[in-house]
Amino acid sequence: MFCLLQIDCPLQTQGSMKKYLPVLSGVLHTIEKFGTPPHHTLMKIGVRSIMQTICLLLLSTSLLAGLDKPAPHPAATFPTNALIPVEIQGSVTDPAGEFLIGVNIQVKGTTRGAITDINGYFSIEAELQDSLIFSYIGYKTQTVPVDGRTQIHVVMEEDVSQLDEVIVVAYGTSTRGTYTGAATVIDSREIQDIPTTTFQNALVGKAPGVQVASSSGQAGATTSIRIRGIGSMNASNEPLYVVDGVPVNSGNTGQLSGYIYATNNVMNSINPSDIESITILKDAAASSLYGSRAANGVVLITTKKGKLGKPKFTLRSSVGFTPSWATDNYEPAGTQENVDMLYRVFHDYNTGRGISEADANADALRRLNVKFNQHGYFFETDGTALTEHVHIRGMTDGIVNREGQYFDWEDALFRTGVYQTNDISVSGGDESTRYYSSLSYTKDLNRIKINGYDRITGRVNLTQKIGRLVEFSSNINISSSDLTGFNDTRNLSSNYYLQTRNLLWGLYWPTDYKTGEPWTARYGSYGQNNIYYDNEWENSGKTLRLSANEALQVNILPGLHARTVFSYDNTRTKDHIYYSANHFNGSNSNGTVSEMTTTYSKLVSSTTLNYDQVFGAHRLGLLAGFEAEKNETDFQRSTGNDLPSSALHTVATAGELDANAYFWGNSIMSYLSRAEYSFDDRYYLSASFRRDGASKLGPDTRWGNFYSLSGAWRLDKESFLAQVNALSNLRLRASYGVNGTLPSPDFGWRSLTAYGISYMEQAGGGISTIADANLTWETNYTTNIGLDFGFFEERLSGSIEYFTRDSRDLLQSVPISRVTGFSSTLKNVGEINNRGLELSLGGDLIRTNLIRWGVQVNASFIRSEVTRLYRAEGEEEGADIIWYDPTGSDARAQYIFREGESTLAFYGYEWAGVDPENGNNRWFVNDPNDPTVGEFLIDGRGASYAWQDANYILIGDGIPKVFGGFGTDLEFKGITLGANFIYKIGGDLYDGASKDVVDDGYYWERIRAQYQYDNMWTAENPTRSLPRIEGFDPTDAIQFSSRNLYDASFLRLKNITLAYNLPLSLINRLGIDNTRIYFNGTNMLTFSKYKLADPEVNQYSTRGWETPYGKTFTFGIEIGF
Amino acid sequence: MKALNIYVFILFLIGITGCSEDFLDVKPSNSGDASSSIQTPADARVIMNGLMSKMRSSAYYGRNFIMYANAKGGDLTIFSQGRGLDGLYTFNHSVTTGSNSGYWDHIYHCILQANSIIASINQLEAEGAVGNFDDVKGQALTARALMYFDLVRLYGEPYTEDKSAWGVPNVTEPLDASSQPSRATVEENYQQILSDLQTAAPLISKSISNGYLNYYANMALQARVNLYMGNHAQALAAAEEIINNGPYSLYSNEEWVDSWTRQFGSESIFELAILSTEGDLGTSSLGFYLRRKGHGSSSAAGWFMASDYFLDRLGEDPNDVRWGVMSYDEVGEDHLGASYKYSGSVDLVGDGKSTGTAVNIKVIRLSEIYLIAAEAALESDKAKAAEYLNAIRKRAPGLEPATESTISLDMILDERSKELFTEGHRFFDMMRLNKPITYNDDLADVPVAHRDKTIDRSFYKTILPIPQAEINANPAIGDQQNPGY
Repeated sequence: MFCLLQIDCPLQTQGSMKKYLPVLSGVLHTIEKFGTPPHHTLMKIGVRSIMQTICLLLLSTSLLAGLDKPAPHPAATFPTNALIPVEIQGSVTDPAGEFLIGVNIQVKGTTRGAITDINGYFSIEAELQDSLIFSYIGYKTQTVPVDGRTQIHVVMEEDVSQLDEVIVVAYGTSTRGTYTGAATVIDSREIQDIPTTTFQNALVGKAPGVQVASSSGQAGATTSIRIRGIGSMNASNEPLYVVDGVPVNSGNTGQLSGYIYATNNVMNSINPSDIESITILKDAAASSLYGSRAANGVVLITTKKGKLGKPKFTLRSSVGFTPSWATDNYEPAGTQENVDMLYRVFHDYNTGRGISEADANADALRRLNVKFNQHGYFFETDGTALTEHVHIRGMTDGIVNREGQYFDWEDALFRTGVYQTNDISVSGGDESTRYYSSLSYTKDLNRIKINGYDRITGRVNLTQKIGRLVEFSSNINISSSDLTGFNDTRNLSSNYYLQTRNLLWGLYWPTDYKTGEPWTARYGSYGQNNIYYDNEWENSGKTLRLSANEALQVNILPGLHARTVFSYDNTRTKDHIYYSANHFNGSNSNGTVSEMTTTYSKLVSSTTLNYDQVFGAHRLGLLAGFEAEKNETDFQRSTGNDLPSSALHTVATAGELDANAYFWGNSIMSYLSRAEYSFDDRYYLSASFRRDGASKLGPDTRWGNFYSLSGAWRLDKESFLAQVNALSNLRLRASYGVNGTLPSPDFGWRSLTAYGISYMEQAGGGISTIADANLTWETNYTTNIGLDFGFFEERLSGSIEYFTRDSRDLLQSVPISRVTGFSSTLKNVGEINNRGLELSLGGDLIRTNLIRWGVQVNASFIRSEVTRLYRAEGEEEGADIIWYDPTGSDARAQYIFREGESTLAFYGYEWAGVDPENGNNRWFVNDPNDPTVGEFLIDGRGASYAWQDANYILIGDGIPKVFGGFGTDLEFKGITLGANFIYKIGGDLYDGASKDVVDDGYYWERIRAQYQYDNMWTAENPTRSLPRIEGFDPTDAIQFSSRNLYDASFLRLKNITLAYNLPLSLINRLGIDNTRIYFNGTNMLTFSKYKLADPEVNQYSTRGWETPYGKTFTFGIEIGF
Repeated sequence: MKALNIYVFILFLIGITGCSEDFLDVKPSNSGDASSSIQTPADARVIMNGLMSKMRSSAYYGRNFIMYANAKGGDLTIFSQGRGLDGLYTFNHSVTTGSNSGYWDHIYHCILQANSIIASINQLEAEGAVGNFDDVKGQALTARALMYFDLVRLYGEPYTEDKSAWGVPNVTEPLDASSQPSRATVEENYQQILSDLQTAAPLISKSISNGYLNYYANMALQARVNLYMGNHAQALAAAEEIINNGPYSLYSNEEWVDSWTRQFGSESIFELAILSTEGDLGTSSLGFYLRRKGHGSSSAAGWFMASDYFLDRLGEDPNDVRWGVMSYDEVGEDHLGASYKYSGSVDLVGDGKSTGTAVNIKVIRLSEIYLIAAEAALESDKAKAAEYLNAIRKRAPGLEPATESTISLDMILDERSKELFTEGHRFFDMMRLNKPITYNDDLADVPVAHRDKTIDRSFYKTILPIPQAEINANPAIGDQQNPGY
């Protein structure tokens, strides 16, 4: 077509009109290919005719206007110069080999110029000793000597300073160099190779001030992000997620968590490959325009858009393997060691009561036999002492003799995890239409056999210009996923991971040694044969998300445009849970199946008017808008009991039916505005104001005002710094602003009577909450001061930010006298301050044409403190609030909110270690009135053997001193080697799980960890750190105490990536533009002071029985053509 | 095209700015405003249903409250520690541990529902609302009396030991969230209980109302409460009101075993209904906690079994009909310690519903009233006492009937143990009568560190501590903590 046009159009060789040609032909080319249905021949012909007509018209117009006069030719002007101008042809690409369209080319010292065409080619007349200047937005301007060549290929280098890089911010865009707020931008390239179903997990260690923690290593689990500390007590600490300008739902969807505690992360519905960039808004200047939901920061996700140019197909495929966990995780001691420990417990139980050693030995062996004979083992000892090594013998009366063989439950319940993803995307566009379209399939099979996740996503992002004034864009995403999970909270009977560590003795086999039949009875009280039971239950959470985000922009006048966005986001999760009549959860009801559908719908309508104008050195930007949002969640459940056939797992077949259905929701209405002013690209000022009304609050308190003020000053542009050549950027920023957090419950301000508790098959109801009708917003007051700097043309750049954030009117579920009928009510109770310093520094240590070596580092020093707790009149101090880690609903760690203390202050007994004399636990009594109260003194402090005598005190702090990440990347001849580390220094980690596996003898049925075997006090090893295990008078010594507190510091090689771009010379012959093969290793190395389990823990700095992280090896290929 | 878009754009603008304050008034779909939920007698009945539903929770009559008196009473023992609720048996509880705060929390939650009904009705009646609220009000008052009686038995010294000791906060109105009530004395609690029962008696229906409280349930409570207070004449009068005028009759020996497979039998004065789709606690049910390990489900952990002392007592007559709900337990095939009263039968048939765990909780049975009458008459009229006792004692046909000369308090107490086994009485009986309790710890050699093998009511843990969580929110009550904690 293009060739045809060149032949058909007589313009191509003539004078100044020539420069329009590439553009015209490009447009033509594109329209032909994409602006019309591709197979519509009639249209093709039509377009071609139109374009040819346009060519002719242009030609005739230019002839008539006399424009076609050849420009004065240097050679002609200065004939004395012997050099003759020649036609130089060439092409321009980016570093990845992508051809660049519209690059400006100018002959140095002249006004002559050209631009690259749709294919990235140019031709220009210059003399052989001239130099050509290549410039392009976002790339470094290059001067290339012609040097006698007539063919020149130029690779543009990206502008490292990136000061002009466009970044997505609240309700618009800005550039890095002019933005007055605190924001971190994460490019898609930083997350592309990481094997994860959600982009959230790929953010760990990437942005200063941002902490990312996954709720579990289960496939499909939710992830938590904390931006600049903890700004809330009871309300959400999660940031607001905004996709393509519209707030979206985040967190867990579906109801499985109510049954088996597997979470289903709705963010999984966004394919990480579709993401162009992520902007994390941190200070009030950046986020206050999102008002009442912005207090915990905002994560703006921008999906990919088509770029001008020919269609680009990208195929990506990767496969990852997780053969092991990233660290040890409460590794159990061997079967022999566990039998010896249990023998010790039983023996002690007898001798502790004064029974003779011989009788104690006999009783201990009897108890072992009672427990394990049925599994094919019996026990003998050589002597009768407590320390005997127990011989484990095989019973010979069955069909197998199991002597010397123990069953490997880990092997039976775990596997090598496999993560696979396949993406295809097509993008492109022309002047009026741009499109990006993708399809992706991902499958994530967790190391724990029953946990798996798969997902299909499809996306179409389309932008269409209609006439000169109107632009319409439509982003449509469809995602369908299927999750099968399991309970990975501290649930003894259904957490398989916990079972392998705590309940499943190697002496337990899945079959009966006498008959070979599957073993169906419980082992002890809780452990069971899941090899059998896995066929007797099933669960799935199928999520279908459809989101349509339609935007219309009208450019009313130059600099003035109106934009309206209408978004409908519908997420439907259909949960299925089934237990057969053979399963212990279904046996009572002769099989049970539940189907639950939870549909979240969110409608957002946002209309803004934007004015942006430059008056000389002054630039003014104004924004005003209105936004309304309606959220509704619709829930339905149907349950069938008494299932007639084990083959039919449907409610329809059930003998007995039960159902429930209701809905809930909330609405928000907002007015927003912003003014920005800058002078001479040196001084910047910005102010924003938003007024929000929310249904989550009562009529008297539901409207709130949120605002921000900010400014920036480019010091390097001042004359007093102009001489400092090394300095390429020095910018001081400051902001102050107010934003808020809404309560989590939809109806927290209403005192309610709840229904749905029927009795005798008649409706029943009861008072379900006593509320504070004056509940109001949590309000954040944030100050931010930032210094951005860059040296050596931004080869080295970084920033330092200081922030302080006061959160007031914090919402907290406050304990109330239970005589009222309730244990708590939601109230505004206090204030928290988060303040800190964030540093980031990056640069290229080596940068030559051959090799580039870059390093980046970031560090966050954040203090988070409860500054005030509201008090009753006349009270001196606000009452402490004791609270528990909500993760997994097992209250694994106890905290206290106390004025002047950290927001993650662990509260418990102070463990004084083991008494080397007798191996007993010792506890500091910590009597508030007399520090010497106790059974005995340790270093002058009162202590006791009984925790019951001790008082709770502050025992630790979950907030680290510093955390962050650092990385390095090396590029050499198409090979890229990158490594990203994350680290945390200081702070305490509370181990809420070791109580199960490092038990002093309280629980007779459980197996114990190797850690305990190696560290328990014995008469022979009296200096070990853990107490002796005992059977007599055991008390549950694993209280909330410093015994479970560890140093949380760790360093982890989170990701290492090796990638290779195949040489263009090789692949271009195959018609391929670029091919990249890569390897990614996740969680490859971990250095930690805490050895029991994975130190990368949740946002409360606790470890429980959630599935740990794996060590994943991923191999991938990306092909573009 | 362009005109169309601008039209759409304008539509957007109009649609959006047209939003009013109604947009922000979002109400829940499964809840209503608490302050106005009772307007009519029908509304009040709905809340009464809710109260009954809450009373059958596992935290209260559904399991834990009944198990409290069972596990601590000496008639039960355990085979292994750590299976659940064994802390009741071993007295392993403190202000923070042992999950005993559930009683305090849940019963006060139920009292709030009753208070809300009573307060709403009082207000509606004062405003002259139409409709007859008498029965619901009578039920709510009776329920409140029962709940305070249960609370004061858990947290206060027995009335007969020290009625001036701390009881529980005596709250008769719905409270504000900021309230921090203090404890009343045991005597004040009992006065409130009697006052509520007496106020309710003339209001409440006399006809049988399955699943709900009626006049005779009120009388039964009057009998019980007076017995606990040592007011034998009043206890006897109330018991005889039921025996002589009530529509209930004792099970014959032939009917007795099967009575557990039926709901609302002829002895049921107050029975909380549990349906398989409504309140079925499944593996958390009372029936599960009392049956043999692994019976019918691998989830049955074999929590509690009869002590040898109880088995010896019941074994006084091998033909006692009450062996019919006993079966063998984990100890061995000849140890019939597993109780199947709350499983319907030893074959787990339940009481006529699709699951064997959806079994109604028989809170007050006529048999208990006869035994109350016997005990209340013992001092004043031994012949009458013997007559009432024998009506129950005949369930052991091999035993000699009691006579005026042989009857004793111990005989009556033994009969209570046999008849009301696992129905939530034994521990409270031993406490009110100041009897020692000996535990069968040696059956399975379970180590018990928190109490002696034999205790009596001088042991501080025979009453529960005010939970730490209550003290945290209501510090003044910390000064009223039960001694020893």
